[in-house]
Amino acid sequence: MRNNNVFSRLARGQLLSLTQEKIVFLLAVLLFAVFSFSLTGFASVDNLLGLLYNVSVLGVLGLAMALVVIGRGIDLSLIATMAISVAWSLTLIRDGVSIEAALLYGMLMALGIGIINGWLIAYAEIPALFCTLAMGTLVYGFGRIALIPVDVVYMPADPGWFGALGQGELFGIPAPVIVFVLLSVVATLVLRYTRFGRYTYYMGDNYQAARITGVPTRPMLVMQYGVTALIGFAAGLVTAASVDSMNTRIVNSTMIYDVILVVVLGGIGLSGGKGGVRNVIVGTLLIGILLNGMTIMNIEYTVQNFIKGAILLAALIFDSLINPRDEQTAQQGDI
Amino acid sequence: MKPLIELRNITKEYRGVPAIKDVSLSIYPGETLSLLGENGAGKSTLTKMMAGAVVPSAGSLLIDGKPMRFETPNEALRHGFAMVFQETSLVPSLTVAQNLYLGREPFFNRLRGLYISAQQFLQTLNFNVEPTKLVSQLGAAERQMVEIARALQHKARLIIFDEPTATLTPEEKHHFFGLVERLKKQGVAIVFISHALEEALAISDRITVLRDGEHVLTAPAAELTQDAVIKAMVGRDLSGELYSGIGAHRTPRPAGRKVLSIQNLSMGSMVKNTAFSLYEGQVTGMFGLVGSGRTETAKVIAGVVKRDFLHGGEVFLDGKPVRYRTPRPAVGDGIMYVTEDRKLEGFFETLSISENIFAGKLASAEPVPKVITYREVATVAEHWRKSLNVRAISGDARVIELSGGNQQKVVIAKSLVQKPRVIIFDEPTRGVDVGAIAEIHQLINQLADDGLVVWVISSNLPEILSLSDRILVTRQGRVVEEFRPDQATEEKIMYAAVH
Repeated sequence: MRNNNVFSRLARGQLLSLTQEKIVFLLAVLLFAVFSFSLTGFASVDNLLGLLYNVSVLGVLGLAMALVVIGRGIDLSLIATMAISVAWSLTLIRDGVSIEAALLYGMLMALGIGIINGWLIAYAEIPALFCTLAMGTLVYGFGRIALIPVDVVYMPADPGWFGALGQGELFGIPAPVIVFVLLSVVATLVLRYTRFGRYTYYMGDNYQAARITGVPTRPMLVMQYGVTALIGFAAGLVTAASVDSMNTRIVNSTMIYDVILVVVLGGIGLSGGKGGVRNVIVGTLLIGILLNGMTIMNIEYTVQNFIKGAILLAALIFDSLINPRDEQTAQQGDI
Repeated sequence: MKPLIELRNITKEYRGVPAIKDVSLSIYPGETLSLLGENGAGKSTLTKMMAGAVVPSAGSLLIDGKPMRFETPNEALRHGFAMVFQETSLVPSLTVAQNLYLGREPFFNRLRGLYISAQQFLQTLNFNVEPTKLVSQLGAAERQMVEIARALQHKARLIIFDEPTATLTPEEKHHFFGLVERLKKQGVAIVFISHALEEALAISDRITVLRDGEHVLTAPAAELTQDAVIKAMVGRDLSGELYSGIGAHRTPRPAGRKVLSIQNLSMGSMVKNTAFSLYEGQVTGMFGLVGSGRTETAKVIAGVVKRDFLHGGEVFLDGKPVRYRTPRPAVGDGIMYVTEDRKLEGFFETLSISENIFAGKLASAEPVPKVITYREVATVAEHWRKSLNVRAISGDARVIELSGGNQQKVVIAKSLVQKPRVIIFDEPTRGVDVGAIAEIHQLINQLADDGLVVWVISSNLPEILSLSDRILVTRQGRVVEEFRPDQATEEKIMYAAVH
């Protein structure tokens, strides 16, 4: 008889690969219920909208990160790309360039960074982890030296539609939430129904097999990192519009880890080929509820960091338990 | 004389599949024993058990007449049992002396002291290797010397060499055999694993032949001839149902149009200046021992690896020169490679059967709708799943959950869906259950009847004989012989492959 008890199935990754998402979702619901009962003001409509508003940028960044993680990569330069490209756009606006043109330049810059990332990973065969780690530092340094004279760049006095991206509302729903929802829908469709999306899953599952099957793996890598950087730029626009400025110092914050937290917690394995937009949403919800609840409870920032760190570590351990890796499955660019 | 080591009824199973079946063998101090057999005969497994790298499932190991059980290579080493591997197990970024004392450094490790004692030790062996040199700067022969010195440093009483002469020049070989002589005089027992029959017969005292994990014969080398050894190596029961001499009775298919012509192809040290052609409507079988460059040749042609930039030779498809730097353009031209290692580079393990098969279609030149629905995937996959008879509950089952045979069928379907003109099967029935082997063979024949260029690479002689309309034999990176199947015998093919 074959071993079919829970633990051997757990070891083979059959039992939980589908349900990590469900577990996290249940955890989110549970946390939500607990906070609703124990914290006054948590369950109010205003607070819930505020909660969504606060995590939607994180969610958008999660979508960006999810794309490369599904393809068995990672992009640690995401926050730097977002902050510097948007801050540069704002600087250009301040210097008198029209909003549209400035945003176009910023977007091209983000795209360029993404393409260089992808090119280095695909053609120079540098592991994604190191490549993007170095790229993040490089982009931040370069931006501060050459493009952006100050730490914090403010929005123009009359940002027009650009401002509405952060502060506008539609049927009472804040614009950032709408952006997150729209991007989620687009990402779902792309990942599920297009060639690009499927190739991404093939590459994440087994890069070598994808290559032999005829998937253009290297152009695909360039595209994945390019698209990720573009979504990052979009997240930056929303951030700038909501807080009326772009603070380049967020590059040095723990934000990138929050993004990875969202992705891994939601159940997108770092070993690639698994998960989708739903996992990002679930991860975002849990983190959103957690952060919001902790803020209402007035838990110190350092303690919050401790809790987030513990959760990330737990999620990573969990991930490697249900998606075990060995020499056979480890590959170039693997992290 | 008392044997140094005695194996009694040793069996080793991997997941219920025996790799070594009930083998008994004794090795005496000061003798050389050569272990011969085809790929997969169990030579490595058997020797690894003596060196502690593999633990037997059943049977006993006696050393100096006392039962012993090695759990790790280190334990075996402490008893004086050392193995010198084919791919050397030295650390290239360390010096010779550091490698000699690897794992046994004193707590206060002074490099100078290390160099002095290494120098002294190497001199006693009459090895001319500089102890301060980095191993990465050494040649193959020098590395081997360091390996041997390391084994002797542990006061080895038995040294196992895995293909020791494969990478050596004739001069270095000469030196190596001299060394072996000296070791024997000191009473060290030597075990060779080798494919070079002539050499094995010349230098060993006794020969042991393994076949399919079973002990076939052990005899003094002086009493054996090369032909007798080859016969012992391949002489399996040909009346077995699976390969009931199809090749011998069937008339070979005639060659169709020449599609692929390979000229002077070279890639690193694995493919050296090989040349052959492939024709439509027939199965070209390719036999060669491990390391003879079969897989590498196929991979170069399918664009999986690049051939040498300079003097890499040429590949002609329909008379036009082609050079693929990635598999994608090769797939576009209808050249598909079905890998020998399906887990590593064949299927997508977390995806479903349907998704795996559809991946082939999506990555090929075949038209695919812009919006890919589940229905589309399922329809394509269902067709191929039925025609290849993949047994699974549904197309949604994950490939990793299937048996080896069904996994292989999925990988083949993934290539067939791409409408191949040339299809390369690398070990198509490795790790495949018996029932599926027959089905895969039937499929391969069908593809040739349909007019495809079919190229089958295999180390399984009966498979080659029963499938091929033409048999190519590779040795040391090139095609050395061609046989008609009605003229070929297992002995002839094996002879060509080892000479």
